Amino acid sequence: MRRGWWYRFVFLLIVAIISGISIVPTAFNFKETDNFPVKSKINLGLDLQGGLYMILGIDFKKVYKDEVKGYARRVEFSFKDETGSGFKLGDIDASDPLDPKLEILLNSAADNEAVKSVIHDTYNGLIRITGDTGSTISIALTKKVKTDIEEQSVKRSIEVIRNRIDEFGVTEPEIVSQGTDRIVVQLPGVKDIERAKELIGKTAKLEFKMVNSEIAPATIQGWVSKAKEEGLEYKKGERFSTYVSKVNELVRQDLPKGHVLAFERVTNAKGDILQLVPYLIEATPRLTGEDLEDARVQFNPQQNNQPEVGLNFKSRGAKIFAEVTGENVGRLMAITLDGNVYSAPRINGKIAGGRATISLGGKSYNEQLKEARDLALVLRAGALPVQLDFLEQRTVGPSLGADSIDKARFAAIIGCVLVFGFILVYYRVSGMFAITTLALNVLIILAMLVGLGATLTLPGIAGIALTVGMAIDANIIIYERIREEIRKNVGFYKAVENGFNSAFWTIIDANITTALAGICLLNFGTGPIRGFAVTLLIGIFATVYTSYFVSKIFFEFYMNKVEGQDLSI
Amino acid sequence: MFEIIRSNTNINFVKKFGITSIISAILVIGSVFLIATKMKYGVDFRGGAEIQVKFQKSENLNELRKSMKDAGFSGITMQTIGEASENEYLLKVSANEENLNEVTDKVSKTLTSKYAADGVEIRKVDIVGPKAGAELRKSGFLAMLWALLAIMVYVGLRFDFKYSPGAIVALFHDVSIILGVFALTGTEFTLQTVAAILAVIGYSVNDTVIVYDRVREHEAKFVGRDIKEHINNAINETLSRTILTSGTTLFVSATMFFIGGLAIRDFFMAITLGVVVGTYSSVFVAAPVVLLFDRLRDGKSSNTVNAQA
Repeated sequence: MRRGWWYRFVFLLIVAIISGISIVPTAFNFKETDNFPVKSKINLGLDLQGGLYMILGIDFKKVYKDEVKGYARRVEFSFKDETGSGFKLGDIDASDPLDPKLEILLNSAADNEAVKSVIHDTYNGLIRITGDTGSTISIALTKKVKTDIEEQSVKRSIEVIRNRIDEFGVTEPEIVSQGTDRIVVQLPGVKDIERAKELIGKTAKLEFKMVNSEIAPATIQGWVSKAKEEGLEYKKGERFSTYVSKVNELVRQDLPKGHVLAFERVTNAKGDILQLVPYLIEATPRLTGEDLEDARVQFNPQQNNQPEVGLNFKSRGAKIFAEVTGENVGRLMAITLDGNVYSAPRINGKIAGGRATISLGGKSYNEQLKEARDLALVLRAGALPVQLDFLEQRTVGPSLGADSIDKARFAAIIGCVLVFGFILVYYRVSGMFAITTLALNVLIILAMLVGLGATLTLPGIAGIALTVGMAIDANIIIYERIREEIRKNVGFYKAVENGFNSAFWTIIDANITTALAGICLLNFGTGPIRGFAVTLLIGIFATVYTSYFVSKIFFEFYMNKVEGQDLSI
Repeated sequence: MFEIIRSNTNINFVKKFGITSIISAILVIGSVFLIATKMKYGVDFRGGAEIQVKFQKSENLNELRKSMKDAGFSGITMQTIGEASENEYLLKVSANEENLNEVTDKVSKTLTSKYAADGVEIRKVDIVGPKAGAELRKSGFLAMLWALLAIMVYVGLRFDFKYSPGAIVALFHDVSIILGVFALTGTEFTLQTVAAILAVIGYSVNDTVIVYDRVREHEAKFVGRDIKEHINNAINETLSRTILTSGTTLFVSATMFFIGGLAIRDFFMAITLGVVVGTYSSVFVAAPVVLLFDRLRDGKSSNTVNAQA
């Protein structure tokens, strides 16, 4: 026996043993704590074990708008530091939603040069001036800032979602970006899908805005009534933000510059809206969730230990908070979540030290506790900087997964048995070799799935079954070639050798073309489709190795044993 | 040796190309027409929501419809899926609904509260926004296009560029007929279908390449003979392999189709069809196109010997 044979045989043995070991935990359902060198099992896809899959889209239009306002505030601070005087913020011009412009209303035209020099000196390259009428200056973001925002938004959103998911306790979540404005979230095994969705979907754009105290509540109520007369009334099932923006559009002329209408929703236990309380608030926030350090549930000993949310600001936030509360004692400060007023506490005095609380009134103790927990969780994880839209969402109940897996596995076994039986009858001893290589093929595929940490999906099982069906092709190509050679009476030795040689490139060509289709699938597919592509590609590698190289080892051994005098094919 | 196809089989395939071309052309044109007019796109591509629900006991579909209508959901269609004894239903919410997420949540809640006594179970909820649907449509189409292109280039480089068009025409032939059958039977076109079609592309081109491989081998070995003869011999010699491989793959795919369960049924319907059509096309579509291109390329070939009958 040639030495080359031994090398290849030993390599085969190593491959087989490693493969065998790596699927033991999967096959025998080991616990993590059991004492075995390999711990990892095959990851089952969502379609097999149930769970939640979704694609979230980031709405940059809104981010840009907020960002331009944020910069305006920063300019205001710098300007105040330098000159001691201030300015007001006017309307936002979002006629080009990807490049919103904000008006700065100067106290006097004399400030014009000073404000512009602050923008030029301190915010050079970050914001640009798009208009100047003397008493008003329009600003917008630069391209560089927008690109940064895009990158940062995706990164931060993923981070935030991960934090929330971690608190929710999912074992193997997958949160990845897709393209420049997409986030894919996969939560296998999650049962309480509604709650998970709520948690992730909560954009929690937390803002602190001053409530206008100059306009009488009756006037504000009048605007709402006017909208109602025009047929604008909130209907159940409608997106609330759509209603709010429609109302704002309608009464736009009546509102003082830089102000918007927002609502506080008073809901009952079932979540139905009982009452809408309108507030006239400044469009630009004084503080945002980014200024927040921490938020947690605490219990107020003065009020029957009612749960409330305690806030803790970062140093910059604390400074601004102290300043704002100091300047506006007696006025209301609206705490808005996603544009809706959550509560509007009266500022009783300057709050220094950066601590504040949000009380949640009007509900049962348990509901308050749940709400406080959810709110604190959302705030603590760091309020999302962006609005996320659900673009695609798929949920699979765990029992469906189990049903599907049982049926598919049963069918796959039947299919394999049929193929094996046929091959055995058709090729006899050589058929035995083919079956052995096929079994090894499946073993290697499963082991590689474990090794690569790939996910087995339902189409993946289909991919394995299909691989078995097609892997036999390589054996058939070789065997049919050998049969042809035998008919030419070249002798069994030579027949086997010629058969393998002439089949080699055919097998390679055939598998490369299939692999090309697999690569395209991997590139363009999503979710389970990628699972199929991965198994298909792994299957192709395993097929070429087992059907050609391993078969060859068997045949060489066999031909040596029978000294080339016999071949059962 | 046990043989299904006798080793001395010698069928004149080239002679049959005329008839098979007409059959193929009719099938493809018919399929394209069906795809354009009757194809049903699944939720993946048209957007919308689907809720798969299972009851412990049998439900009357009309009553189910009526109760959903009474609950205020008007635009929802409903159908039974799988075996009648399984009591599984599919509810579809159309894509133009103002807020798919909300509507779907409400439908699920209504179902679980109203039919609690009947052992209702929400098994699957798929929501695809209209925008995502459009993108999935685009990426599915791109995947197929790139696969075709990559295969064409590979075949062209490995063999000869006269072979590439044959492989591609055969693939178009297979894909359009499979989709035609999908349209005819009212089977929805989904992301899974795209995966299946790509697998079929892989399988079919595999089959085609094996015939081509033989033709090339003969071209190198017996210089001067007519390409018709090479093709005929190549098909005959690989016929046994072709039938065996298609047979074993069919075993598996048909088994998966019939007893593999609902979740993979459509997938394996495409694969099963693909194996049959793909095997046919390797012989009766890919080969004639090579003949055609061979003739187009060297008009001088009039001096070659005629193929034997």
